[in-house]
Amino acid sequence: MTIWKRIAAAAVALPLLASAAYGQDDARLKTLVVAVPSDPVSLEPGTNRAEPIGSEIILNVFDTLVAWTAPDFKALEGRLATSWTVSDDGKVFDFKLREGVKFQDGTAFDAEAVKFSLERTKTTNPYVKATFDLIQDITVVSPTELKVTLSAAYPAFLSILAQPQAAIVSPTAVKKYGDQFASNPVGTGPFSFKSAQADTNVVLEANPDYFRGAPKLQQIIYRIIPDASTRRLELEGGGVDIVQQQGQLSAIAAEDIEALKANADVKVLETSSQIIRQLEFNNSKTDGPFSNLKARQAIAHAIDYDGLLEGVFGGTAERVYGPLTSNSWAFNPKMKEMAPKYDPDLAKSLLSEAGIDPSSLNLKLYSFQGPLWGAVATFVQANLADIGITATIEQTEFPALRGLQTAGQFDVALDGRQPWYNDPDAHITIGYLSSLADTAMTFRMPKDEELDALILKAQQTPDMEARKQLYFTVQEKIAERVPGAYLFSPKLIVFTRANVEGLVVNSAPPLNEYWSVSKK
Amino acid sequence: MASFILRRLIALIPVMCIVLVIVFSLVRIIPGDPATTLLGPGATQQQIEALRAQLNLDESVILQFYHYVTGLFVGDFGVSLKTGQPVAQEILQRLPATIELSVLAVLVAIIFGIPIGVLSATRPNSLFDHVTRVVSLIGVSMPAFLLALVLQLIFATYLGWLPVSGRFSPYLPVERVTGFAILDGLLTGNLDGALSAVQHLILPTAVLAAFLAATLGRFVRNTMLDVMGEDFIRTAKAKGLRRRDVVLNHGLRNSLLPAVTIVGLKFAEMLGGAILTETIFAWPGIGRYMFEAIKNRDYPVIQGTTLVFALLFVLTSIIVDVLYGVLDPRVRRKMG
Repeated sequence: MTIWKRIAAAAVALPLLASAAYGQDDARLKTLVVAVPSDPVSLEPGTNRAEPIGSEIILNVFDTLVAWTAPDFKALEGRLATSWTVSDDGKVFDFKLREGVKFQDGTAFDAEAVKFSLERTKTTNPYVKATFDLIQDITVVSPTELKVTLSAAYPAFLSILAQPQAAIVSPTAVKKYGDQFASNPVGTGPFSFKSAQADTNVVLEANPDYFRGAPKLQQIIYRIIPDASTRRLELEGGGVDIVQQQGQLSAIAAEDIEALKANADVKVLETSSQIIRQLEFNNSKTDGPFSNLKARQAIAHAIDYDGLLEGVFGGTAERVYGPLTSNSWAFNPKMKEMAPKYDPDLAKSLLSEAGIDPSSLNLKLYSFQGPLWGAVATFVQANLADIGITATIEQTEFPALRGLQTAGQFDVALDGRQPWYNDPDAHITIGYLSSLADTAMTFRMPKDEELDALILKAQQTPDMEARKQLYFTVQEKIAERVPGAYLFSPKLIVFTRANVEGLVVNSAPPLNEYWSVSKK
Repeated sequence: MASFILRRLIALIPVMCIVLVIVFSLVRIIPGDPATTLLGPGATQQQIEALRAQLNLDESVILQFYHYVTGLFVGDFGVSLKTGQPVAQEILQRLPATIELSVLAVLVAIIFGIPIGVLSATRPNSLFDHVTRVVSLIGVSMPAFLLALVLQLIFATYLGWLPVSGRFSPYLPVERVTGFAILDGLLTGNLDGALSAVQHLILPTAVLAAFLAATLGRFVRNTMLDVMGEDFIRTAKAKGLRRRDVVLNHGLRNSLLPAVTIVGLKFAEMLGGAILTETIFAWPGIGRYMFEAIKNRDYPVIQGTTLVFALLFVLTSIIVDVLYGVLDPRVRRKMG
């Protein structure tokens, strides 16, 4: 056989050989392949900035003291802590820690490790400065007992402790690897870090000694696939087991979701999120049309909320009735009655009551970039046109939009917030406290001593039931003022191959835990 | 020739300086602060300022430039604002993937493009000529993302012969030694992995090669048609040379100059990263890296990749010029 014939034969045999190589069924059933759009920024709790991919890997490699209980994420459960008590003034937290837990490097987990980790994040992570700076003192009472003292009452602190920034690291590994710890992360979690190749993959291996029991999978491979249509083809072809909707508004289009739902090889998991997208007014502006309550009410009644959810999202988003999503533990059910209903005639009469001629309004409707925001903006634009208001859509690059928004150079804008920890505080304080109005993309609320005091009291009251009632009142007060029109909350959508079972999808922040996952 | 190359290499210095100044200022002129971009819409001013301080973005631009340039002299390209890793190391991690893909794509394009051009030119207006002209027109006009999607659907989704994307199967990971996946598979004795790497290379190579092969085919055909009408071809024929010698030694050799230019420039471009192809096929190369960096306003990465790209481009054009000399004695004489 000549060399050319050999090459030709090899070329023909290639695909066949490869399918043989792919056929290692056992390994495949013990390996979960997860598609993500880019590399994790870092696997380091000490610098984590709530970036989704790194955060998710951190929560699978490390443990936190506490975690939210699946499936409704309304109560905290212990992880590395078995129990805790909070002092009456809400400043002192006493934790009892789990015994016999080992880090993946074999060293023992104890109260010193918790103190080390939390103090480390406090000094190295500017992202959590506002909350970690509240930590006044951490005292190791015994190897299994720890006392954390805050300088001011902050009940959402426990929720912060469930976040990746508060993950407990192995002090021995940190000392060993120094600033290379991010490339060699060591925690107590169900999976240990094995390897990472830039823009290619991150590989995690099961931790057989995990304290909640060894995971059912042997390894997790995160495949970095930047293009959404490639991710879809890979999922349909079985090249990946899980595709997540990272960055809710740019992932898979509604019609693709329908097609995937019809595919018997694919399961679509939908969970309510705590993300809110709204049309917001520049509430700190004392002149202009929307300084008038009736004008704001008119806009809120002009929007066809159900039409938006069906027409643009095909059922992949949910109604938001007020400043909190309905799955929040502090959601006030009264919001459902108070929420404005679509009524263009009422909107028109409200405008005329406000003494505003709609044809005199020429609004600039600012929005983020991307086709989905474009579709939302177009929908709102059409609703406004129905009551006689002309609006021009300005889709602006994020940093520029943020600049305009924080400088208050707008009348109406599309905006939204994805809370990075599971507490009403993450929406209410930053969104509506007047002293924070221009420090971030907020509702730019004007000074209102009564509301401001209420928000701070709700933030700081240690008794959770009393807190809930306070947030009920806060929501009503905010809703009465109509600071914006709450448009929708996108659902968290995770696509899995049909044989993937036991996945837990967190709602806030939207991160998956794979300890309980198996493949059939 | 040696002095020619030396002169060109010296001329490289001012070119790189200009590129450096332009890219350093351009990335800072485009709106968008890296700290704001990295933290996303939820961040507070306090968080943004803390990150700016951590990333040394609160330094003056002049000072930043000074630090960057002094760093360059010791081979320090700075660290990525996003990952905190050295840019030089991140580029080196991704360069092999891009080289693997572009070298193969150029080879495939030459193997297909030039013979097609020659055959078309020697049989003008034949059926073969018409078919190849239509096919190459499609090849030149079809956007890479469309061709990629069509190939993925046919060969991966329907036929199941080839993988959709990636560099090797997730179940047959290739351990990194040199960064060249096929080579690494062979070096580590992971033959299945090497084989899977070959399979993963086929579709992206086809997409990249298609455009170049089509362009080459059209160029070679046209210049060859001109050349074949020249007097010296008639002379060669009249001397009784075999048709094959006339076509290959006299016709093709004199038609190759434009082909060399195209191959050289396209090769340099591919080394700078084929952004679309790398993104669609999840290929971990330089183009994708640079694209992500622009989105994130990752200044040091944009600067580093642009400099490497500019360097590769200039070096390739020097090689093209030298090849001109090899192919054409008149050029060789001028080079001294």
